[in-house]
Amino acid sequence: MSVNISDAMPDDAETRVVLTGFGVFSSIGVGADEFAKGLRAGRSGAKPITLFDTEGFAHANGCEITGSEPERWIHNLPVDTLGRATTFSVAAARMAVEESGVDLEDLRAKRGMISIGTTDGESYDLDNLVETEIASGPAAMDPTTARRVSPNRLSIAAAQELGLSNVEAVTIATACSAGNYAIGQGFDAIRSGEVDYALCGGADAMCRKTFTGFYRLGTIAPDVCRPFDVDRKGILTGEGAGVLMLESLASARARGAKIYAEVLGYGMNCDAYHQVAPNQDSVARCMEIALENAGVKTEEVDLISAHGTGTKANDVTESRAIHDVYGDGPPRTVSLKSMLGHTMGAASALATIACSLSLHHGFIPPTINHRETDPECEIDCVPNESVEADLRVVQNNGLAFGGNNAIVILGKYAEGAL
Amino acid sequence: MTLTAVATKPVITAWSAVSPFGIGKDAFVSGVLAGTDTSSALDAEEWSGGPDGHACLVPGFALREVLGKKGTRSMDRVTGLAVTAVRDLLRDSGDLRTASDEETALVLGTTTGSAQSMMDFTRASMEGDRPFYVDPSLMPNAVMNCAAGQCAIWHSLKGPNTTIAGGRAAGLSALSYATGLLGSGRARTVLCGAAEEFSTARAWLDHHRRGADSGALLGEGCAMFMLESGSFATEESRGLAEVAAVESRVFFDDLRDALGGCIDAVLERGEISREDVFAVSTSPLTGTLGEQEHAVLTDRFGAELLGRAPAMSSIGDTTAASAAFQIGSLLSLAERGDVPAGGVALVSSVDDNGVVSCAALRFPVR
Repeated sequence: MSVNISDAMPDDAETRVVLTGFGVFSSIGVGADEFAKGLRAGRSGAKPITLFDTEGFAHANGCEITGSEPERWIHNLPVDTLGRATTFSVAAARMAVEESGVDLEDLRAKRGMISIGTTDGESYDLDNLVETEIASGPAAMDPTTARRVSPNRLSIAAAQELGLSNVEAVTIATACSAGNYAIGQGFDAIRSGEVDYALCGGADAMCRKTFTGFYRLGTIAPDVCRPFDVDRKGILTGEGAGVLMLESLASARARGAKIYAEVLGYGMNCDAYHQVAPNQDSVARCMEIALENAGVKTEEVDLISAHGTGTKANDVTESRAIHDVYGDGPPRTVSLKSMLGHTMGAASALATIACSLSLHHGFIPPTINHRETDPECEIDCVPNESVEADLRVVQNNGLAFGGNNAIVILGKYAEGAL
Repeated sequence: MTLTAVATKPVITAWSAVSPFGIGKDAFVSGVLAGTDTSSALDAEEWSGGPDGHACLVPGFALREVLGKKGTRSMDRVTGLAVTAVRDLLRDSGDLRTASDEETALVLGTTTGSAQSMMDFTRASMEGDRPFYVDPSLMPNAVMNCAAGQCAIWHSLKGPNTTIAGGRAAGLSALSYATGLLGSGRARTVLCGAAEEFSTARAWLDHHRRGADSGALLGEGCAMFMLESGSFATEESRGLAEVAAVESRVFFDDLRDALGGCIDAVLERGEISREDVFAVSTSPLTGTLGEQEHAVLTDRFGAELLGRAPAMSSIGDTTAASAAFQIGSLLSLAERGDVPAGGVALVSSVDDNGVVSCAALRFPVR
């Protein structure tokens, strides 16, 4: 049942799933082109947080998005009805449609899916409502804000903005792997013929709640995020959105679309072990499920985009799980969180876009801020400088609180390689 | 586990409910069929400071008494409701489940997890002497997938574990997602349902959202269903109802066209003839949208069919759990032997953010 670059037949074109457009809001670049440049240059999104009051915290850097004006991509919905995460989601969805070159009228005539993953939904708004409540009592909460906090709006508002009614709008709230969950859902829906296209991804806005939680756990880095480094001190919280246009290869070919990459398969499982600590065996098992689903052998994988949060626990557990699956010579393994911070529900969606851009343009984005690799991690994290590489298959890991693992396998798409 | 695509439909083989009628499916069946009023005055000590003095709570749901003291010290209410419903489902289904833990998925619908847990965490940061004087053991509660993750930990469910933030349509959104998991072979058994807690935080958010439309009292609870791939054509003896189709649409201001399209799609995809439909369960939504929904469904199926589905108003507005309870109400009819052989019941669900969803359940021919 697996679809493989080498053995795929032309009549698989209906069930092969390709990526044809990206909407990107990130702290290192807005839009696929600028994002690709940022990844190649190893840009850092780290800077002092301004979005909420950080007085009293000893350190408070984050990867905040400033000056990106997502409202410019929103033409139909009143922006005051959209929370910060929904604003990113809606704008990224429109950007993905525009970038894919598909005609919106054509999309409206088809059956589609919009699936957006998130960790925090509109927690930024909830934080503000709490602030009101403390200052003036709960009766003083702003009704406009209260009306926009439901996280199902991340997907529904995108459909409304684009005038898409014949869509299944889904918001997946599986924390920090939610973007990969969403991409997987779209992949299955296209393969089964359930939908003709899927706009999938993830979105989150920085919020005080989550920053405080990670800070209290001792997992916020004082300066920058250094994944796999012997001196790594944790994450920086980030924000943004990544939305991808998924369609069948047949559909993409029929309209002469630019194809960035192919989704070869994915895997999901649950640790059923601990609420916050990842489980090595289960993470390894998830990689096996994903590789099997994609019909890919370990020796065919050229690059792993790790979940790579930069915490002590994650990076050692994840690299050991990689060794469990790949043996002594795993492929190069990078962490985009060194550049983007931890963008929560957007993280694995932005990483899937980054992997696709790497496959398409032929480079490996670096793990920045790196000084000395932790001997317990034992991987080549491509420190500090991107490298040129003709990649064929890339694995993108997404791990989350609750033991919610989701891993996507992408392949290079080359016309005529059938 | 090799993933193999399966062409059959999901079949509900067992279910459980923790509802304002009580803890357990039997309490739900008798309560919903009798239309027992579940509203009560809120205990002023436990639920102080809310906008309304009444709600439809799960009676006797003192979490640590229901689940025991081990592992529940930091557990929030919505997680407790879900863990209890999954516990009951696994207990009551006995050896029905043939799938291993790795092959068993959990799909849980929610509005936003626990608004109370999320807002309490921020409040602790803002009111404490230092902004980071928060209880770290409460942090997982402030993330929306807490309940699903805890269900997995408590009941050793290692397959895909998915939280769908679907508002009022969450139950059907979860059902649709579960159908996809079975169809793609990513799970052999899916425990699927939706949970909502009552809390003061939710009551205030709801109060401000509704504005002038006072709506129903808030309710809470969780209903869970065990789903497996099957077909009544080949496995006549197995299953309580088949999920013949689930469809949804997004609407803008007026839901009528979207709901009409949704019903057409469900009837077509489920290969359902209009005559086989014996009951239509409507969402308990009030206001203009509720009226539009009622008008479309009455126009399509007649008031008599709408009247055959048990009314859900007696448990209040259970939001994310509402569609799951609607399914439970139709399965309750079946428990009483009150469904025609091979008959089809429809569930309609509307979320006022802009989603209509519709599912068709086909009952066994036997």
